[in-house]
Amino acid sequence: MSDQLVNVLDWIAILCILAGAMLSFVAAVGLVRFPDLLSRMHAAAKPQVLGLLLVLVGIALRLVPQEDTGTFSVGTLLLVGLFQVVTVPVAGHIAARVGYRTGRIREDLVVTDELADRLDTKRRAEAAQKSGGSTA
Amino acid sequence: MNDLNTRKKQGVRAFRHRLGKVQIPVALGMTVVWMLLFDGFQPRTESLGIALLGFTVSVAIMMVFPLPPIVPGFRFWPVQGVRMFFYVLVKMAVASFQVTAQVFRPGPPVKSSVVSVRLRTDSDLMLVCTAITVSVIPGSVIVEVAQPEHVLYVHVLGAESEAEAEKAKEDILELEERIVRALGTRENIAELEAAQAAGKGNT
Repeated sequence: MSDQLVNVLDWIAILCILAGAMLSFVAAVGLVRFPDLLSRMHAAAKPQVLGLLLVLVGIALRLVPQEDTGTFSVGTLLLVGLFQVVTVPVAGHIAARVGYRTGRIREDLVVTDELADRLDTKRRAEAAQKSGGSTA
Repeated sequence: MNDLNTRKKQGVRAFRHRLGKVQIPVALGMTVVWMLLFDGFQPRTESLGIALLGFTVSVAIMMVFPLPPIVPGFRFWPVQGVRMFFYVLVKMAVASFQVTAQVFRPGPPVKSSVVSVRLRTDSDLMLVCTAITVSVIPGSVIVEVAQPEHVLYVHVLGAESEAEAEKAKEDILELEERIVRALGTRENIAELEAAQAAGKGNT
């Protein structure tokens, strides 16, 4: 590869890594500024995913022209990105679900809540079942 | 002696049973991951060995920890798949900026909503794909999944009015449509289109 192209790729890589770092910074600020658990989850999990992906792209762009085997090392980066994207939602979902069900949620900040109705009817049905059935 | 023979037969039968649970496409996928881990795609002689070892390990894992098969499976539609990929990327970028703006917005804390979205396809795989993509896009977290009814309860950051909550719902439904069109089987797509036609007739 020509020197010029490598230079251009380097600059793009630097921009990508910088943008990724900025997004992670935003996530950190959001963690401090947001008021309740669910909003914090947004800040903690999300801009950071895109941030990490951008950093990975940056590293890949630096790596590819490096050596003969550079292209193949990108495979590892691909795996990092893939597993990040697939696993972050699972962790986020569990934390959100537990937070919601244990009432760690500020009701004054939620405008419409369509899940509350469902949980209410469910709880009522369970309570009816318990009082109706035997104590054994 | 007889006892030993029957036990051997039982063992062989159990082995065959376990072997039947191995799903070749999944094993191939795991082999690809293995090869990526060990730089197996370089043109060298070891690569063949890495691939073979990876496949053996995948099969062994699937025999020790058998999983139910993915029903009804999926089908990749290349053009729609590429479109879906870029749609998600653009959405992620735009939503990141929105969340950034909300983070730095002065004044009272951001309000949000929990909305319920009923998915129109009946496949678990489509449900999982949609849920993961919704979670990856900033500004929305899945709080609860109602499994038999295929309803997602999504916490949307910054949806401060009914209209915005409604818009968030539409966004998720559009995302579902794109994912089904990219990865769904023919039946899934037919189901989606039928639901869409019915929805249009109602309103």
